[in-house]
Amino acid sequence: MKKILLLLIAFITIFSFTACTNHQNSNLMTSEPQQQKVVNLFGPMEKTNPNADNIARTAFDMTVALAEQKLNLLVEYRTYTAENYKEKTYDDVTLDRIRNNMDDWYLLNPDIIQILGTEGKLVDLSVLDSAKNLREVVKTANTVDGKLVAIPQEVVVHGLFVNKDMFDKYNLALPNTPEEFLHCCEVFQQNGIETPIGANRWWLENFVFAQAYADLYNGDTTQQEIQQLNSGERKYSDYMRNGFEFLKKLIDNGYVDAEKAYVSEAIEGEIADFLAQKTPIVMAYWGAANTDTAYGNTDFELQVIGFPSNKGQMPVVSMTGYAVNVNAEHLHDVMNVLDIILSDEALQIYAETNKVISPSKNVEVDCVPALKPLNDKIQQNIYVLGSNAGMNVEQWGNTCLIVRKLLTGASVEECMAEFDALQQKALQ
Amino acid sequence: MEKKQKNRKDKSISLLLPIILVFCILGTVVFSVSHKISTEMSHSAIQNLSESLDLMKGTIEAILLKEAEFQKLISHEIANIENPEEFIRSYHKNQTMVKLSIILSGETEGISNTGEVFTEDGLNFSFGKKVYDLPISESYLNYMGTWAYTIKCPVIKNRKQIATLYAEYVYDSFDKSLPNGFYNGKAMLYIMDAKTERLILKPKGMGERSAGHLNLEDFFRANNILDSNLRDELRSSVKNGKNVLFYHDIRHKNALNYMWSVNDGAIYLIGYVPIEAIQQEGKTVNQNIFIVVAVMLSAFFLCCMLYYFNQRQQNKIRKEREIEREIHNKQLAEALQAAQIASNSKTTFLSNMSHDIRTPMNAVLGFTTLLAMDAENPAKVREYTKKIFASGQHLLSLINDILDVSKIESGKVVLNIDKFTLNDLVSSIDAIIRPMAKSKNQIFHMEVTGIKHECFMGDETRINQILINLLSNAVKYTQPKGNIWFRIIGLKQRSHQYEHIRIEVEDDGYGMTPEYLETIFDAFTRAENSTTNKVQGTGLGMAITKNIIELMGGTIEVFSEVDKGSLFRVELEFRIPEEQVDKQFWKNYGISNILAVDNVLDVCQSIKTLMHDTDVSIETFVDIQKALQTIYDNKQLYDMILLGCNAPITKKIDTAKKIREILPDVCIIFLIENDSEDVEQMIDMENTAILIKPFFVSALKEKILEMHHLSNSENAFSNTDVPTLEGMHFLAAEDNEINAEILEEILTMEGASCEIVENGKMALEHFQKSSEYEFDAILMDVQMPIMNGYEATKAIRALQRKDAQTIPIIAMTANAFVEDEKEALKSGMNIHISKPIDIDMLYQTIKQCVKRKE
Repeated sequence: MKKILLLLIAFITIFSFTACTNHQNSNLMTSEPQQQKVVNLFGPMEKTNPNADNIARTAFDMTVALAEQKLNLLVEYRTYTAENYKEKTYDDVTLDRIRNNMDDWYLLNPDIIQILGTEGKLVDLSVLDSAKNLREVVKTANTVDGKLVAIPQEVVVHGLFVNKDMFDKYNLALPNTPEEFLHCCEVFQQNGIETPIGANRWWLENFVFAQAYADLYNGDTTQQEIQQLNSGERKYSDYMRNGFEFLKKLIDNGYVDAEKAYVSEAIEGEIADFLAQKTPIVMAYWGAANTDTAYGNTDFELQVIGFPSNKGQMPVVSMTGYAVNVNAEHLHDVMNVLDIILSDEALQIYAETNKVISPSKNVEVDCVPALKPLNDKIQQNIYVLGSNAGMNVEQWGNTCLIVRKLLTGASVEECMAEFDALQQKALQ
Repeated sequence: MEKKQKNRKDKSISLLLPIILVFCILGTVVFSVSHKISTEMSHSAIQNLSESLDLMKGTIEAILLKEAEFQKLISHEIANIENPEEFIRSYHKNQTMVKLSIILSGETEGISNTGEVFTEDGLNFSFGKKVYDLPISESYLNYMGTWAYTIKCPVIKNRKQIATLYAEYVYDSFDKSLPNGFYNGKAMLYIMDAKTERLILKPKGMGERSAGHLNLEDFFRANNILDSNLRDELRSSVKNGKNVLFYHDIRHKNALNYMWSVNDGAIYLIGYVPIEAIQQEGKTVNQNIFIVVAVMLSAFFLCCMLYYFNQRQQNKIRKEREIEREIHNKQLAEALQAAQIASNSKTTFLSNMSHDIRTPMNAVLGFTTLLAMDAENPAKVREYTKKIFASGQHLLSLINDILDVSKIESGKVVLNIDKFTLNDLVSSIDAIIRPMAKSKNQIFHMEVTGIKHECFMGDETRINQILINLLSNAVKYTQPKGNIWFRIIGLKQRSHQYEHIRIEVEDDGYGMTPEYLETIFDAFTRAENSTTNKVQGTGLGMAITKNIIELMGGTIEVFSEVDKGSLFRVELEFRIPEEQVDKQFWKNYGISNILAVDNVLDVCQSIKTLMHDTDVSIETFVDIQKALQTIYDNKQLYDMILLGCNAPITKKIDTAKKIREILPDVCIIFLIENDSEDVEQMIDMENTAILIKPFFVSALKEKILEMHHLSNSENAFSNTDVPTLEGMHFLAAEDNEINAEILEEILTMEGASCEIVENGKMALEHFQKSSEYEFDAILMDVQMPIMNGYEATKAIRALQRKDAQTIPIIAMTANAFVEDEKEALKSGMNIHISKPIDIDMLYQTIKQCVKRKE
């Protein structure tokens, strides 16, 4: 008892002394200006849902946090998203901003990479240590005039997201060829599903790429054919025609709502019907199968397959990538940031979090079950590129724009003429 | 007790209520203070937020004003120059004003500093908002891919508008004027164009939540502001240029949302601040209040606990003291009671003693008187002396019992442990008790069962004393023709070194009352009733018995019912001596196979058990015919037949004869009860002997020895010369004249002579004066005047003469304790005889000493 009392008195004494101690010896307070190193990133931002977690964004944030911690700097994130189809697109704004040196680094779509790469607005990233670990396909797709102008954190593979339950319900096998696909759409339509394909203004071009380049990228004469296209010996329109005719059939048969697709942003326009099982087929990128903000949590069996082609299901690879403004205000810092967020360590974190195919040949992770069919094709090196900086006609952006013309009523011939004009312009 | 508890409970409740009340008041006060502080801090925080927003608003409006003033200044300048378009082309953009354009009056197209043709298309001034009287456009994405606005200013020359000047400004320029990390980065701040509701300046942090948001609708959706009324009100406020603050949870955290009008509602500062960020100070103050209250409460409870433990300790000590006091009082009461009982017992005892001593004393004195009167009548003299002797014996037994109790109570009893056999014990008990029982016409039964050994270590004399006490009581308190059972039962051994024995003494006599049973083992108690009060005794026997049993580590129990009898059950453990078995004995006498017959199975079993370690093969039969058949079948196999059975003697003899016919030379031992008659017929048969039940191996061995050495023993016995006192000469030191006279008379009657002296000194002198070997022995009293017996003995032994060391000195003293005997031997005496002198004992002792001398 005495011990307890002594301890109590000691505690009270110490507490009192501590409480009464005046730590402030001076009344003079100064404020030092904070010197915080900053690099500016410009990127797109999806419209947000309350309390939703975007895994893809989280994965990117984790790698950026790694860079911020290692370099003791701050990455400021500037964004733009078009309110509607009438507004400037993200790509338009990106072009304006990079041409006016507004930011240090950007997340760019393949067409913009090619345009700005050609303009010499992007830094050659092959000097980065992390660039040495990249897969060849990544390097090929992002090299413009011999410079590696962009590097992605994931190999973006586009595929068809199908409601397997609905296919099973109508005893339909997952389609391999365009004919099979049309048959499936026909059956769905006959069973009251008026528009079996949910589409937006961005990703219908994948149907075209799958049919156009299935032979080119999966044959032995890839480089030779590309050279012939670049030299004008072959015409892009010859490759594209089948795909456009196929799209035309989809539109004409009402399998795709062209008007709606034309004004719909990616995922926004089709997600509600797909999740409600009113639409059995949509198209999206690999990561959409992992995130709750897209198709990561469905009430049905989701499967992601390749687009139909004469060589079977065909994944379309189109890489968005991070690029650095050649006139960046904080060039040195941003290069350091990129070196860290594209390192194997960061890409491992990214790939594990997002369950995607890593651009580094040293990083391999398992994918979610829904993505297995698509992943199997990639593992077998069966895919087509949606963008190829080695082609003198930019593919991803131009095809997208021409598909939009098809959506607004242009004929296949008119569309082919657009390709021919572009090729001609490139040759000049 | 119940009343006490109730009072304590009432006290506790009356103490608890004020404490609860104090705590309630304290809680209310703390809550009120805390609430008041929270409210005040909240108001203060809201005020602070409003002021911050006003400050930001002022800053932005000041920027806009300066921009407008600067633009007016440029327009004045342009009005005064010859070629305005040239001026425009020469302008280089800065971080704020990124584009300068002019359209001359009357034209629809003009030029920009970027060299492009400029029209007002794409600029919307219909919103009607102005800065410094200059129209300001809606926000739009400019050629740099960032949000911008344009202010148009007329160029007036000579009071006539000659052109319109358009200056494009970017919202990014506001960024540096806004606070970096609003509310430590916990708050969100956007700038919204009021007309388009687009968010034109956004936070630049990382992640989906920290950056982005498209427009007001997206802001509502992202922050879960779903209430349409609230949305309408907010939109209405924006339309009317009002400032709005409202509470709404953002990502499950209570937050204060704001929409703050800038430049007459052209743009809005919108966003939210989590309440925890606003009320940081209030929260801290409240936390500190709670910490102080918690510390105070803890201190209070600690004090309560200390007080409680202290009280508990005090109560415990008080209770212990009370218990101690109670125990003490109880002990005192018990001691008092015991003292009273002892006093009563001793009074009773003295009364009894007075009666018991006076009775034989009365006989002694009475018969002495009669003896004096009838001295001439030898028959009457013999009768009177016999009765005087009996009374004297009784007086002696009384004194012996009293001495025993005295020794036991003073802890002076020491057990004399030595080897003894059960056979000797049982024989001696039987020899004493059977005649007593027989004299009262009672039947004495003896049974020994389950005993595995028969030789033990123990105080035989004390065991004898116990058994004689119990059995003599049984005899005393059993009516004629009654039965007395004496059983020795071997129990399961607790250790192989000890034999566990139960002794039962049972009778069907008068029995005892339950009340008496409770005090039977107390000293100075004696059962008395009309039937037994003629029984003489000290009432000490049972107390002595119990004490001796407990001294031996045993227990005694008693069961009794009036007129049905009593059962005393004693349990003792005796150590088994190591050299138990003499196997060689049986080999020496050629005995290896014995056949035993008895119709009592227990007897057969007992024989087998006791003979187990002898290496002699034992076959037992309860059926005599089967036994005969076995003998017939095996013929030469048996060296000895033990023939028991409760059959008549004649039948036993017939059986023995039949055995003889089969085995003519076999030794037959008859096992008979002690009170069997006509045993002579058995002894008449050749090579036979009689063994009294119960069976013991040692008894059998003695019998075998006896049979083998009968003739030699008889010869030896016939040649023995019994020593007498005839012709011996003694020196006796005795200060009591009567005792001296008695001694002299006894010795004279035996044909011996004696010289009597009065004390030790005289004895010494007398011996010194005598010639060597003149005296055969010295009989020495101990307590004598001038020089006692011990000193005299020492002095005699110290004399320088031949017989000083060898002459037998016999102590004859009333000092009857063992210590007295030891002291006597230590002083040099040869032997110790306690008074009163038993003439037989004196003879034996003197003979022993004489023999030794010879």
